[in-house]
Amino acid sequence: MTTVGTQEKPQAAGLPRRSFLKWSGAAGGGAVLVGAGASFGLLPGVGAANAARMSPADSGDKAVWNACLVNCGSRCALRLHVKDGTLVKVGTDDTGSDGLDGPQLRACVRGRSFRHRVYNPDRLKTPMRRKPGTKRGAGEWEEISWDEALDTIASEHARVVKEHGQEAVYLQYASGTAGGNITSGCWSRLLSLAGGYLGYYGSYSTSQITYAMPFTYGARIESNSIGDTVHSNLVIYWGDNPVETRMSGGGNMYNAQVAKKDFKTRTIVIDPRYSETALDLADQWIPIRPGTDAALVAACAHVLITEDLVDQEFLDTYCVGYDEEHMPEGIPAGSSYKSYILGTGPDGTVKTPEWASEITGIPVDVIIQLAREIGTAKPCAIMQGWGLQRQANGENNCRAVMMLPILTGNVGIHGGGNGSREGTIKFPLARMGLANPIKTKISCFMWTDAIERGAEMTEIADGVQGKPQLDGPIKMIINVAGNAMINQHSDTTRTAKLLEDDSLCELIVVVENHMTSSARYADILLPATTNAEEDDFIASEYSGDTAYAMIVDKAIEPLYDTKSHFDMCVDLSRKMGLEEEFTEGRTLQEWRTELIARTKKDVPSLYSEQEFRDKGVFRLSNPDGTFVASKAFREDPVANPLTTPSGKIEIFSERLWERSKVWTFDGGKKGDKLTALPEHVPTWEGAEEALTNEKYPLQCIGHHYKGRTHSSYGSVDWLIEAHPQVVWMNTLDARDRGIDNDDVVRVFNDRGVIQLPARVTPRIMPGVLSVPQGAWYSPDKDGVDTGGCINTLTDWHPSPLSKGNPQHTNLVQVEKA
Amino acid sequence: MAAELGFHFDQTLCNGCKACSVACKDKHDLPVGVTWRRVAEYSGGTWQRDGNTVVPNVFSYYTSIACNHCEDPICVRVCPTTAMSQGPDGVVTVDQDVCVGCRYCEWACPYSAPQFDAEAGHMTKCDLCADYRSEGKDPACVAACPSRALSYGPVEELRAEHGDLAGVEPLPDPAITRPRLVITPHRDAQPSGSGTGSVANPEEL
Amino acid sequence: MHTAELPMIVFTVAAQMSVGAFVVLGIVQVVAGRKFAAGTVEKMTDTALYAIGPVMVLGLIASMFHMGDPMHSLNVIRHFDSSWLSREIVFGVGFAGLGFLFALAQWFKWGSARLRQVLAGVTAVVGLCLVFVMSMIYYTLETVPAWHTWATPAQFFATTFLLGSLAVGAAFMGSIMWRRRSAGGAELDESTAALLTGSLKGVGLGAVAMLGVEFVIIPLHISNLSAAGGAAAESAAVFSGVWFVARLVLVFAGAGLLGVFLYRYASHAKDAGVRMLAIVATSAFVLVLAGELIGRSQFYEQMTRIGM
Repeated sequence: MTTVGTQEKPQAAGLPRRSFLKWSGAAGGGAVLVGAGASFGLLPGVGAANAARMSPADSGDKAVWNACLVNCGSRCALRLHVKDGTLVKVGTDDTGSDGLDGPQLRACVRGRSFRHRVYNPDRLKTPMRRKPGTKRGAGEWEEISWDEALDTIASEHARVVKEHGQEAVYLQYASGTAGGNITSGCWSRLLSLAGGYLGYYGSYSTSQITYAMPFTYGARIESNSIGDTVHSNLVIYWGDNPVETRMSGGGNMYNAQVAKKDFKTRTIVIDPRYSETALDLADQWIPIRPGTDAALVAACAHVLITEDLVDQEFLDTYCVGYDEEHMPEGIPAGSSYKSYILGTGPDGTVKTPEWASEITGIPVDVIIQLAREIGTAKPCAIMQGWGLQRQANGENNCRAVMMLPILTGNVGIHGGGNGSREGTIKFPLARMGLANPIKTKISCFMWTDAIERGAEMTEIADGVQGKPQLDGPIKMIINVAGNAMINQHSDTTRTAKLLEDDSLCELIVVVENHMTSSARYADILLPATTNAEEDDFIASEYSGDTAYAMIVDKAIEPLYDTKSHFDMCVDLSRKMGLEEEFTEGRTLQEWRTELIARTKKDVPSLYSEQEFRDKGVFRLSNPDGTFVASKAFREDPVANPLTTPSGKIEIFSERLWERSKVWTFDGGKKGDKLTALPEHVPTWEGAEEALTNEKYPLQCIGHHYKGRTHSSYGSVDWLIEAHPQVVWMNTLDARDRGIDNDDVVRVFNDRGVIQLPARVTPRIMPGVLSVPQGAWYSPDKDGVDTGGCINTLTDWHPSPLSKGNPQHTNLVQVEKA
Repeated sequence: MAAELGFHFDQTLCNGCKACSVACKDKHDLPVGVTWRRVAEYSGGTWQRDGNTVVPNVFSYYTSIACNHCEDPICVRVCPTTAMSQGPDGVVTVDQDVCVGCRYCEWACPYSAPQFDAEAGHMTKCDLCADYRSEGKDPACVAACPSRALSYGPVEELRAEHGDLAGVEPLPDPAITRPRLVITPHRDAQPSGSGTGSVANPEEL
Repeated sequence: MHTAELPMIVFTVAAQMSVGAFVVLGIVQVVAGRKFAAGTVEKMTDTALYAIGPVMVLGLIASMFHMGDPMHSLNVIRHFDSSWLSREIVFGVGFAGLGFLFALAQWFKWGSARLRQVLAGVTAVVGLCLVFVMSMIYYTLETVPAWHTWATPAQFFATTFLLGSLAVGAAFMGSIMWRRRSAGGAELDESTAALLTGSLKGVGLGAVAMLGVEFVIIPLHISNLSAAGGAAAESAAVFSGVWFVARLVLVFAGAGLLGVFLYRYASHAKDAGVRMLAIVATSAFVLVLAGELIGRSQFYEQMTRIGM
């Protein structure tokens, strides 16, 4: 049979099946989106015209081990088939099992599209400089040599450090090569050697839970593994969606499916969307208004307390702050959790199911039944996802959910958990990065504020760490393999405006594979190789009870005039006089050998480099069977205390109590409030406000989408075809507005407008929209974002405690375009 | 006689990720618009509002479909050129040297198995990865599924192991073409023709 | 308008019109042959007969554009025993070939008149078979409920006779006008005028009857689709909106013109109206042809298949 087509060929037939006989205009929405990735085709270094040609599919001459390195939390093997120096096919792991122990690391749809990511018309091909005299973001470029590009960076770095200090340099939060080791460690290593840079804490994924959970448990501790649910009598995925967010065939999706299939444990999914986890695993789906989780928890606690379903012995032994008899010294009466729930605390509100029902949208009988099931099904596993903490007061939401396993004594036992996200064992991988000598940090979400008003930012108002106040604003940003320069940060329109003013941040360097939205805002743009063109040594991430390591082997030579992160950092370090320190006399390959050798010290049975090539994945099974969080603490809380000040679970956090008196929220918004207990706090643009806001009555959240990992893979044609960007809306909301499935709609608020097709579906609760996050911001001449990036609708305003991104707290309206 | 081959699809495991579909595209180098394996989302149900609370009665599930290499392949029946034909193993293939690209099979097949490649001017379709099978390997889609929801083999064996259900919405009445397809149904699977829901992602098919 | 299947729209309408015109001409010859001299009849009908050829060829050429790979066109007859599409090509080429042969025979007066009549009869039968086979292509697709209905053959035959009649009427008028012009505007002779009058009356009555048939088929088809639900109901959605209305208006306007046309013939002197009649007959044909082309495009547009 003859082969059919390569990527450069015109779109065949084009129209999908059911519509190929409909009006040509009807399919326009999809067609427009399919083209979006190549919209920068006229740039000198970008575009299909001079793109490398792919060879047709073929088994190839050799197959090398490589991996997908994006930030999904899974980590899958890719086997790259190469012929005549070209990738001809992408396979995946063919080792491992079909069970919970050491499952085959089958790549999801994204990894399978890898060839079109490498040979993408959007690939950056040569270093470029923003054309002098043009505005940042205007998209006008000049090709320059590597020498000139790196000279500029070296001299500008020296100038900025001299004029504004070391802390005016910022290495931007980025996760496009999160799974890389050498790949993602080079830049932090070099900048650390060059005196360091303003650091950040938190992440766009988990700012709130990472910051808030230590107040309860002393640290962010993941819950029991999904594999451990085989010991559970009830499993609750609370805003947790591993079947969609961790789709690896060797990761938590697979673990969840196998556990459910083999043990058929009753499973409840609590989520505004009928997520893929609900679709695959749920015996019951409880839709909840976004951001109201703490209210649902409080009502469940009310039922548990009034029906005597709490584990009083556990609470007395392991916890502080449950009732008035177990409070820290010097705290006023009525401040305990029990008082809060029973309405004998300062707010005087009894947290009945009736009270919560109005807030959460969940009927009273459903709340009561949920609470009784949690109270009686011991052991019960409650795993919370991270969406509910990316809210205006997400810190309280995530701490609240942890209350249910605490109240029922499910912490530290098989089949139970601590109410955090599902846990995993980690591989002890030796890494290439180097610690930043500068200890001053801002929240990863506050960098735009730090550009705009850095000198004003303080510890008590803005969460600055390491010193009471920043010395000054950010003047130089290095953004490596990340799209938080605009796309993944909030309020794209406002961010674009900030970045356009190059008197504020004076130099932006972006290192990228593709012409992403963030790359457009660079002054100097460095084209990096993809991991198909690089060597690395990497490990598993959230994989449950199997940890593993793999090598990433270079499959093809660097395309165009691209360089690996390592090579460009070596060249730059030479210009900065740091080559010796940076390389330590090693080439990239020697670094890999070194990292493998260092890792082998901790894991004596680790494969050699050649064994990795021959056998692929090196696996470690959990010696304890399945992972149980804080097991030692449960077994002996005196010998193995938590790292909280009391050594116990702090339901009432005295540290937060103190901080609530010191931290300021001048010019803040509703819900900017610290509470010692994990209370429900109504917030700006929250569920309560939605009920009364006539202009913007719909809550808008953003789920993780199968066609992208955040924004990574966002310009791959196969994936845009398979998973086109759409906004989910309930059938009832659509009917009220005369919107049909696949109609193009505009979703908007005062911050911006996005335009995209509607997925009219019963799979999301009425009053809630969900825009899959990570689509590439593409404003038209009127500022309408036709890429459908949710962050055109989100706000810079940070959450109160962690100063994190509240990107699921948005009120919007929607109309037919 | 060679055993006639078919697919088994475990609907309870599919999350609609389409790794099967894209692995197929990668293996066969298919352009956008030509998709030998497609995944439909079938959803339906109602919501009840009571004051500020809501109660869902909602179902949804995915169906991953390539060619079912039917016992009575309508594509072979209607093809004017004889390009579409069935081998002794039941696998339906299209001969690129004969096909005229009239797309009649595309109209006829209720599974959208024959896909038109505008560049070549011919129909193309799943051949159950004949080359892989000859090497003793699984077809690309089967090997790709992260959830292990797909398998293939002699259809009699598949039916003995998994039953003989093939009539689930949005698939047609199996009596029309008698597909060599065995489905382990999702808990909410609706029988063919019941019309209780609708395909949520028609533009992706 | 839905034009994705333009080659098929042109081919099916042109082929059906050709068959219809051929059959109608045959009927005119047989009926008129009893009253008028063979020469008088042939003088009028032959021009129309020769016009069918190019129309049919145009249709066959259009059908080639439907093929993704025309180089493989000869393969399409290989599956005659199973595929209605193979049969369509065989009958289409058969009708065109026989028609061409008959036209040649008529031009060169080959063989006896009787033999030519037999040839014409065979050609007509093959043509009618062609229309039937064409309809079976769609009717036998049980996976497309909007096509898998009696309405498909009914509509195809209605189109055949409707456009066939009107095309013949327009061709007669065209031929008369041309003859008048070449004769310097001379009056029609008595028998030609009578022949024209009678033929046009018959043609007009036939066309109006077919319009009536169409106006029964269309609502029944739509209501059947709607009632069936599923893919069929999705198909029914096509029959609304501006193009559907345009089709109805065009066909109605054509019918209205025909009414005027018939009325004038029944009550008017033979000469004064010839020019007006030519305009009316041609306009009616053009309007109804446009309506039928839109109708055929909607026939393809309604294609919604069951399954996925």
